[in-house]
Amino acid sequence: MVQRIEVFTLSEDGRAKTLEDQFRKTGKNIDQIRIVDVYTIEEGIKDGQSLKDCLKSFTNPVTQKAFVLEKGQAPANDYIETAGDFDWALEIGFLPGVTDNIGHTASELTALTLGRDKTLYSSQVVLIKGALNESDVKELAATIHNPLIQSASNKNKEQFVTDGGMNAIIPRVVLDNKGAAIDPVDLNVSDEELITIGKEGIANEDGSRRGPLGMSLLYMQAVQEYFKSEGRPATDVELETLAQTWSEHCKHTIFASPIDEIKDGLYKHYIKRATSEIREARGSEDFCISVFSDNSGGIIFDDNWMITDKVETHNSPSALDPFGGAITGIVGVNRDCLGFGQGAKPALNRYGFCLADPRKDLEYYRGKNKMNPTLSPNTIMKGVVAGVESGGNQSGIPTPQGFMYFDDRYVGKPLVFAGTVGVIPREINGKPSHIKSSQNGDRILMIGGKVGRDGIHGATFSSVALDEGSPATAVQIGDPITQKKFMDAIVKEVRDLGLYSAITDNGAGGLSSSVCEMAEGCGGFKLAIDKVPLKYPGMQPWEIWISESQERMTMAVPPENVAQIQSILEKRGVESWDIGEFNDSGRAVLTWHDETAMNITMEFLHDGIPETPLTTTFTRGGETEPDLTEPEDYAQTLIDMMGRLNICSKEFVAAQYDHNVQGSAVLGPVQGKGRVFTEATVSRPVLESKHAAVLSQGLAPRYSDIDTRDMAMAALDSSVRAAIAAGGDIDHLALLDNICWCSSDEPERLGQLKRAMEAIYEMAVHYRTPFISGKDSMFNDFRGYDADNNPVTISVPPTLLVSGIGVMEDTAHAVSIDPKAAGDFVYILGETKDELGASEYYDHRGVLGNNVPVTDTALNYTLYQALSKANKQQLCASAIPVSFGGLGVALAKKAIAGQCGLDIHIESDLRLDKLLFSESQGRIIVTVAPNDKEAFETIMGDYPHVTNIGTVTDNNSIIINEVQADIDKLDHAYKATLGDY
Amino acid sequence: MTAKALIIAGYGINSEEETALGFERAGFDASIRHINDLAENPNELKDIQALSVPGGFSYGDDTGSGNAFAQKMRLTLGDALKDFVARDTLTIGICNGCQIVVNLGLAPACDGEYGARQVAVTHNASARYQCRWVDLGVENSNSPWLQGLSSLHVPVAHGEGRFMMDDSTLKMLQDNNQIALKYLKDGKPANGEFPFNPNGSTDDIAGITDESGRVLVLMPHPERGMFTWQRDDYANLKDAARRNGQVLPEEADGLALFQNAAEYFGVNQMKKAG
Repeated sequence: MVQRIEVFTLSEDGRAKTLEDQFRKTGKNIDQIRIVDVYTIEEGIKDGQSLKDCLKSFTNPVTQKAFVLEKGQAPANDYIETAGDFDWALEIGFLPGVTDNIGHTASELTALTLGRDKTLYSSQVVLIKGALNESDVKELAATIHNPLIQSASNKNKEQFVTDGGMNAIIPRVVLDNKGAAIDPVDLNVSDEELITIGKEGIANEDGSRRGPLGMSLLYMQAVQEYFKSEGRPATDVELETLAQTWSEHCKHTIFASPIDEIKDGLYKHYIKRATSEIREARGSEDFCISVFSDNSGGIIFDDNWMITDKVETHNSPSALDPFGGAITGIVGVNRDCLGFGQGAKPALNRYGFCLADPRKDLEYYRGKNKMNPTLSPNTIMKGVVAGVESGGNQSGIPTPQGFMYFDDRYVGKPLVFAGTVGVIPREINGKPSHIKSSQNGDRILMIGGKVGRDGIHGATFSSVALDEGSPATAVQIGDPITQKKFMDAIVKEVRDLGLYSAITDNGAGGLSSSVCEMAEGCGGFKLAIDKVPLKYPGMQPWEIWISESQERMTMAVPPENVAQIQSILEKRGVESWDIGEFNDSGRAVLTWHDETAMNITMEFLHDGIPETPLTTTFTRGGETEPDLTEPEDYAQTLIDMMGRLNICSKEFVAAQYDHNVQGSAVLGPVQGKGRVFTEATVSRPVLESKHAAVLSQGLAPRYSDIDTRDMAMAALDSSVRAAIAAGGDIDHLALLDNICWCSSDEPERLGQLKRAMEAIYEMAVHYRTPFISGKDSMFNDFRGYDADNNPVTISVPPTLLVSGIGVMEDTAHAVSIDPKAAGDFVYILGETKDELGASEYYDHRGVLGNNVPVTDTALNYTLYQALSKANKQQLCASAIPVSFGGLGVALAKKAIAGQCGLDIHIESDLRLDKLLFSESQGRIIVTVAPNDKEAFETIMGDYPHVTNIGTVTDNNSIIINEVQADIDKLDHAYKATLGDY
Repeated sequence: MTAKALIIAGYGINSEEETALGFERAGFDASIRHINDLAENPNELKDIQALSVPGGFSYGDDTGSGNAFAQKMRLTLGDALKDFVARDTLTIGICNGCQIVVNLGLAPACDGEYGARQVAVTHNASARYQCRWVDLGVENSNSPWLQGLSSLHVPVAHGEGRFMMDDSTLKMLQDNNQIALKYLKDGKPANGEFPFNPNGSTDDIAGITDESGRVLVLMPHPERGMFTWQRDDYANLKDAARRNGQVLPEEADGLALFQNAAEYFGVNQMKKAG
């Protein structure tokens, strides 16, 4: 007997009001919206008292009323009356197998209340009052559900009344697998067939394919060769495992391959080498502890603590389901923190979104003839913002640091960056906390959630361009509370008991990835796939093994400690399963009910991947420098610049992300009385230590249109500059690189990449700022059709995100961006050159130009060293890095932040618009109290470009040379663009 | 010896460490206790003077924030909670803890009806999570937590912080001085104006008490505003102090609640007595 518990909110409901406004914006005739929360139980609760007890946890009697509807029975008399005046009922629920967190909680509560298990599914009914026809309702439905993961159904009032409500839907997973088994795959086939297997997947009995392995012919031939030498056909499990392990996503093959004259590949030659050279040069002042070898990078925080950082991307899933992609991104990178060393405690989250203009209706399709449309930029933006909100806030991790960058070329492949900073004692039980390794004989313990079909082929899928065949199973939704439970149990209890040898997370590639990686420590493993717990029956062994079901960690545990760990976890409501053992056999072995599912050498698994030498070409982009007319109204031009997407306030995001939880916020994401969104934040992640962490980021994707070398240098310089401006110390600053490229199988794109990597190698070494972790995503291309059915390929501009993490030895060194007192001096540090190529101003004027900013590493280093010293003496009352929009925008932001005037006079040979909006790198604007003037100028020492350009005033306008603009107008323009989102 | 504070944790509660730090700073002997451990031994509460249900996202706010965790406490702790508040003890529910304690019916418990849900703390009027600093006015209250305080500058961070109740309950709260904290704009009532009243709460209510004032529930986070460096205007305060040659005080408004609790139990005298 199916039961529906329907909870009506009788008081004013903020959710309904907001949805009402959202629906009205579509232009449709909407009078009123109400939201009904629904819990569906497959096997209803018969006993009246038990039902009443359960309802307590679903309903608030002060504002809500619950009805219990049973199939085939008329609803209670006042049901229709309570549903009230509406025209349409629209119900949104989850599709079978999609993570239903609310349903999960409802099931847990019901089990707790009744003392026995029940499965509940959640859905929502939206009651709409308004003159609409069914197609209107369907259009509205399309704006609030994603058909890849959710179902929508509707009824008009008449039908609703006749039927006594909506129909009960039970989204139970029913798999049509005839019987799970290990299938042999014959690789003694033609190259054509090898190509097909690599591209479309292993053939099923009916001739259909299982989905892409993402393996090239070269890879397939290596596998063919291996199994020839083993003298047997491969199994499907083996092939899927190799595809996953060798994927671009996991092996970073493009960065590892020989490229032109660089035989050791870009990663080793540039990124890793930069760090090792810096560490060597720093000698006893090296602050790196663990770099590149673990799930995060770790540096010294103070005498007792280490701080870790990792930034991930989750681009492809976010294109299909922005909410699911983003929440999985943030919750996933939390595990990269928990999976560092013996387990670091997540202390701070970062985010970053590269998106198309949310105000535009950009229409593209994955299939021909308007099939399979891409989501609108607005839907994607709202979804990714909400995903990080949900994941970060529910996990109790502050999310202070982030950015949004807009360019319409992100329309088909948005970039979603998610990062987590962690803290961990440098020693635990007298041993260095970053050391871990599986030991021969350790048990393999899987912790957290059960396994479903979620994210099958996620790793291989993210390594290819998005097209019509992209599998919907790549979509997953995170479950932050399940993860929070084991995060707390591991970091706050189990870790410090010293009970396990190693821990890692289950991310892309699932168990296949985590177990194979961990087994490198001891040299082999044997695991029983049938011991892995499932969300629903009927999954194939290969699916179980590579499933990317979220919220799982893998531990290597000495056998004698298994019971103790499991008992602690159980007390914390965390499930765990002993599924195999690590050994020194040299082989990776899987069984399925005692039958061998995989038995290959560890050596082939990890090192059997053939090298693919790469070659590159490079052509500089850009147009000739334009000869623009001079603006007639400079004040208005500055006001217009403030409203541009890449300049305007992103406070609507910052205010939704809890940046105060854990009590660690020092300088938040919006600063000053006038609340200006910043490029760096300062936190104190260990409350009892006075040391603080400064987080920053830098990127300049549009510069790639002219030269990726300058793009990369600007990204790195912006990140360092923002960190130093916020009070950081160039001598204790580390970097993370996230490379999001496109079409990385084309020599020209690879040439752009090589140039960028060479540039950041040189810069990092000069600044002595080591890379400690990174990630790449090489195929951010969309292939599909436009509204006129023309085939299109849209590639993102080659994007490098450089994230900075620095340590300041005293929280008091933090510097905010807002001027503090009238009469203070304003200084511009740095030189403004005729460098507007690919700038915001040129884009505003509709041109690209050619003079892209060229970063002067040696000069900037002198500035950052001097300013680091000034920070320690607290000589700057405020500081803001000059970034997109140049001096004019930076000065306006300062005035808005401080709600104060500025009286500025700058001497320059440049025409005023170039002076105001040039994006020359290496510039910071500071204000200095008159009493500190002398000390400040002295400490800036040999750095040549320290220019006193005016004073802070009490006026309500900003004056720059002959231009005068009202702070109110600048403020309004700065906040209006994204103020309504 | 000193007074004992117990801070509840588990299932997505996330502010237990900062809350414990507040009690410790004030002189309490503070322990964090997972709800499942307390459920195994609810008698532990007999030995406790101050209880806190901290902020967080218990059960992900699913089925209405605080609802699920309240059900868990109701089922596993039984009468131990009611017995606890009946004694001369102090209880504070912060943010998610506020939602939980209200759902347990331990506040406002008008007419001494402990266990009855009389108010709801529900979705913000904006239907959006809000993380920002607010100014609170301390109303005419008999609460030991708030003695001697007139205003507080502390942060909020919640998606469901809107106090709602029927008019008669509101009148009772007003008449009994059970409305302890209200949102202010420039020192005057916020009158529902966003963002000063960040959630549209009825009558600008940010916190209420039971009739005795010993049970305080509030949506803002005093435990995230205990030190000056945590304040949103820290950079300005720091700069002003430096210019005036003053030392910036380390403590900020939020700590006062914990110090008041310590004062109530005479923690300093207890410590002196050994």
